[in-house]
Amino acid sequence: MSATAPVATRTPDWLLQGEVGLCPCGCIGRRRKGSFVEKTLTGGAQLLRQVMFSEDVAARGGLLQRLDPRTKLVSLFVLLVAVGLVHNVGVLLAAYAVTLVLAAASRLPLGFFVKRVWLFVPVFTGIVVLPATLSVVTSGHVVVELWSWHGHPQGLTSQGLTSAALVVARVATSISLVVLLTLTTPWVRLLAALRAVGVPRMFVLVIGMAYRYVFLLLATVTDMYEARKARTVGSLGSGATARSFLASSAGALFGKSHHLSEEVHLAMVARGYRGDAKTLEAARFRPADALAAALTVALAAATYGGDLLVGR
Amino acid sequence: MHIPDGYLSPQTCAVGYAVAAPVWYLASQRVTKVVKTRNVPLLAVFAALSFLVMMFNIPIPDGTTAHAVGGVVVAIVLGPWAAVIAVSVALLFQALLFGDGGVLAYGANVVNMAILLPFVGYAVYRLVAGRSPLDSTRRVVAAAAGGYAGINAAALAAAVEFGIQPDLFRTSSGAPLYSPYHLSQTIPAMALPHLTFAGAAEAILTGGVLAYLARADVRRLVPSHPGVPLSAGDAPSPRRHRVLTPGRVTAAFLALAVVLTPLGLLAPGGAFGEDSPADLDLGRAGIDAVPAGLEKYNGFWSHTLLGGYGFSDGQHATLAYLLSAVVGIAVVALLVFAVASAVGTVSRRRGGSGDATADVPVGTSA
Repeated sequence: MSATAPVATRTPDWLLQGEVGLCPCGCIGRRRKGSFVEKTLTGGAQLLRQVMFSEDVAARGGLLQRLDPRTKLVSLFVLLVAVGLVHNVGVLLAAYAVTLVLAAASRLPLGFFVKRVWLFVPVFTGIVVLPATLSVVTSGHVVVELWSWHGHPQGLTSQGLTSAALVVARVATSISLVVLLTLTTPWVRLLAALRAVGVPRMFVLVIGMAYRYVFLLLATVTDMYEARKARTVGSLGSGATARSFLASSAGALFGKSHHLSEEVHLAMVARGYRGDAKTLEAARFRPADALAAALTVALAAATYGGDLLVGR
Repeated sequence: MHIPDGYLSPQTCAVGYAVAAPVWYLASQRVTKVVKTRNVPLLAVFAALSFLVMMFNIPIPDGTTAHAVGGVVVAIVLGPWAAVIAVSVALLFQALLFGDGGVLAYGANVVNMAILLPFVGYAVYRLVAGRSPLDSTRRVVAAAAGGYAGINAAALAAAVEFGIQPDLFRTSSGAPLYSPYHLSQTIPAMALPHLTFAGAAEAILTGGVLAYLARADVRRLVPSHPGVPLSAGDAPSPRRHRVLTPGRVTAAFLALAVVLTPLGLLAPGGAFGEDSPADLDLGRAGIDAVPAGLEKYNGFWSHTLLGGYGFSDGQHATLAYLLSAVVGIAVVALLVFAVASAVGTVSRRRGGSGDATADVPVGTSA
């Protein structure tokens, strides 16, 4: 790191240089491209925030929160298949509207629900399928002529536009369905549901423990990066030093995890672990769940049948 | 390369689950048998680790994201079967907690990143590392190469899954129902960023972690590398079994053929006069008539099952091509197995032990 601090008698640059200002009026100071250290830290913090918020929402008493997680899990699968088989954009939009109604009935903040679905993936998907609307990718009936090539009109084709709309609408609806399940079900109950639908015990155990370790390891990573940042004058840069730091910290994390897993295993065995998992409360299948299951089947049939009726 | 729901047809997703399910079963059998309850916390920790590695996504302009997966590292330290479980669990978290990768497409994602990636990466690692000691530079290079190959195999598989969609599923007006790009578009789109950025990320991660472990705590690698010497001075323990059994050779051929098969769909036309002499551009070859021998023997054998890699009615070209590929691969695989068995028998009879020459330990000359 000596290369980054050439003159020792001057005030170091990092003390004088502003990073992103935290003033409410906007950014003051110079904005710098964040290094991988900052990205890691913010990424970790975001994960924690997101998951904590999910557990918070799952504890509210809404429509979907009251249902049995097994019912919800199976229903999700049935509905995803139905949505996947739809050939008509209108039907997909109707299905999306139903997910919004369900979200509102489950007391999810609608703004958050819509943003979570539309901010990331479908907008991204939209950019991705954009080239497919052009006649150079999807040949067909040109509806908007943009240029011509050897006398043939080229531009947006109706086939391309249909295909793009289908993909975007289907991705949005599918993600909404998954988000509905995960936001209204506490993680532990979701695991119990996985076990109930036949996922092998060892997988469920590994999933449950891994979920806890994600946070533990995240804290370890954050500590390692913070310690490194505290020891470093200037920026870590992105050259060979940064790469070797990245690989070494990944390696160190690997070693630590290995050690941790051995200790955890000993502790588990000491407490009587023999490879079996036990749950405290058994999930109960109530009349409301039967009703929900029937509604799901009806909804899936309506989606698929509606699609057939509208015509493919 | 997480595939979200909506890009693949439910039929393709069902195939993904159908491929993943037996591998999951085998993996849990293998892993449970080896060290029993000890694996549960170990796998959990490594699943969490793989999840954290995958959290850092680089968006690439082909529909998904590029990132290191870390599956090859897990495969090197714990074995590829353990990597299958660890990466599958990490993928499940991403699908459920973040909507990164779909629930229906989970099977396909598992096939790409939790099965192909660790097994291809591990095979390349074993091939390049050979019998070199655990702390050698060659092993680090092998790990990096394994990571690079693994992530590219996964990306290629994802590209193939995307690319076959527009041929198989369309509306009556011809609009693609799912991912709208053909193989000729998806393969370059996935290969370019993965051959450059994501491949480099995975190579640096895999090689770097192995270099660190070799430097800091080489004994951690011992259980997963039986018979491999710790450092150049150590005498290795005798090898337990032959590496190149006929079954393994055949399996390697099968894997390679399955990965390479879709490339044929990209080929624009036939080979030099392959289908009929009339296709030959005679003027360019400097001759003015179809050679007599070619004329005579053309069509000599016409009793083919799938002539021109297609059904006789010319329908369902892609499906027919894939069917031809399956038949062809099966026939050649049988042949490979027979040849490998014969070679094994001959060399065993000649040298007493089939791998006598290949088994010279690295450290004996020192």
